[in-house]
Order: sequence, then structure tokens, then C-alpha cells
Amino acid sequence: MALYIVEADCISCGDCEPVCPTQSITEGAIVFKIDKRTCTECEGDFDVPQCVKVCPIDNCILPLEA
Amino acid sequence: MAANVLSRELALRIALAARTLPDVDSKGLLAVLSECVDAPMTESKVASIALETFRKANGGALAHVDSGILQQALKILSNNAPDKVLPDTQAYQDGDLPNSVRIACASDDAINVNGHFGNCAWFMVYQVNAEAARLIDIRTADIPEGLVVDDKNVYRAEQLQDCKVVYVASVGGPAAAKIVRLGIHPMRLEAIASLADVIGQLQGVMAGSPPPWLAKAMGIEAPDRFKFEREAMG
Repeated sequence: MALYIVEADCISCGDCEPVCPTQSITEGAIVFKIDKRTCTECEGDFDVPQCVKVCPIDNCILPLEA
Repeated sequence: MAANVLSRELALRIALAARTLPDVDSKGLLAVLSECVDAPMTESKVASIALETFRKANGGALAHVDSGILQQALKILSNNAPDKVLPDTQAYQDGDLPNSVRIACASDDAINVNGHFGNCAWFMVYQVNAEAARLIDIRTADIPEGLVVDDKNVYRAEQLQDCKVVYVASVGGPAAAKIVRLGIHPMRLEAIASLADVIGQLQGVMAGSPPPWLAKAMGIEAPDRFKFEREAMG
């Protein structure tokens, strides 16, 4: 389970990067990206994914299917 | 004053002049001016107000203001320059400028992007693509008198809802969040820049490699880049 950032919607504000408890978010070549190998969707740390909570854009950070 | 209607031009000049005066809004300046001239207020009467009359009017409302500033305000009121205060807007129909985005710039002088989101004199609305820019509308940040709105900044942002980006010299945090909520990207400039420079810079980005959200706003799909990015990530 992991989240991903919708490239076409991300505005590179960087708000999500510092709130990630597993440091899975980094600035990529074009927009920010989430490392699917380490993202836990904040399970064990918070009730809701922190990046989704702080992201100013609706539906920009979504669950990665499969 | 009651039934007198100001010409649009004069009203704009009064609004502009009030901005040069500290602690005086358009309403306050109007009160001063209506003492300086006999009704009805016309452009020529306002243009002939003397500095001392201006200073002493309305119980000396402007007595504390520096002469230089007062002179500047009078100059704006008389509009010695032959050109108009505000540039003309041009008509725009969907499709006139392909791959364009609509932007708004908060301005106090119609020359620079120097306005605060909540109280700038105007939002200059442009339709911009990589090659051309067209001033299509000039809107105000004012809430119409008598209109009760839940949230002034939400109302202001709603007036710009057709714009993709709003350039400002400053904007409050909560206001910025409300702007983003409406799908508009607030852009605060590091330093005051002219409208032309800001538009030129945007055009440079649009002609080069626009960030994905801007490309989307321009109506450009970028399947090639997505593919490339995936390959790069492995």
C-alpha cells in the first residue's frame, strides 16, 4: 500500500515533504514524488495520510492501485 | 452629493488619487472634493482645485499630509497626461489565443504588479499564450456596496474564478488557501515587477517546458513526457 502524486495536478509547493513520517516524499525532476516502497499511508503513525491532509490541491495524492 | 453621478473617468481618478494619500480612502477623498467644488462635480472643476483649498477642505482632513503627496494627488485628479488612467481592454473569445491561460494581476497603478490581494485597486485580467497577451478585463477587489458576503476573500477569488493564476505582491495565508481551493494558483512576487515583465516571464515558461499543472491549464497533453518520466524511474 502506498500513495502517489498526480503529476498533472502537483504544483510543487513542497508542503507534503516535511510532514511525511517515513521521509518517502522527495522532489523529483518535474514534481514531487512518493517512494512506493517506503510509503505506509501513515499507518502506525497517524490516522490519516499527512501529505493528503496538507496538500492544497484536491485529488492530487491518491492511493496507488495494486 | 446625493444625486450626482461621477463620470467613470473621474471616479477612477479619485480612486487612484486616494491611493497616494495616507489614511484616506476614496470615500474620504470624495468628501474633501465635494467641499472644494460646487455640485455637480465635473472633471474640469476638480482639475482646477488649488493646493491650499485642497488642504483645508473638510475641516483640514488633509492638513497633516505632505505637500508633495497632495500635489501628486491633485495631479492625478486633474490628469494632466493626455492618456487615460486605465488601458483599454480588448474583446476575447474562446479560441482566439490557442493554448492560452487566463491570469489576473493585482495592481494599484495599472503598470506594476504591486497590489495586495485583499485591497488592490484592480485585477488586470489577461489572456496569455506563448506568443501573445491580451488585456481582456479589469476587475476590482472591492465588495459592491450593500452586498453582504460571508467571506470577502472568497468573494474576491470567485470574481477571478475563470483565471488560472493570480499574481500578487502580497496575500495573506488564509486568503491564499481560499484562492487555491477555487482552483486558482496564487503567485506572490519576490519583488515588485511590471505587468509586462510578469507576462513576459510567464510566456517564457509557457514557450519552454511548462510545469505539468500549467501545461494542463494550457490544454496541452504531455503523453511523451509521462512516458519518458516512467522510463527514467524504471
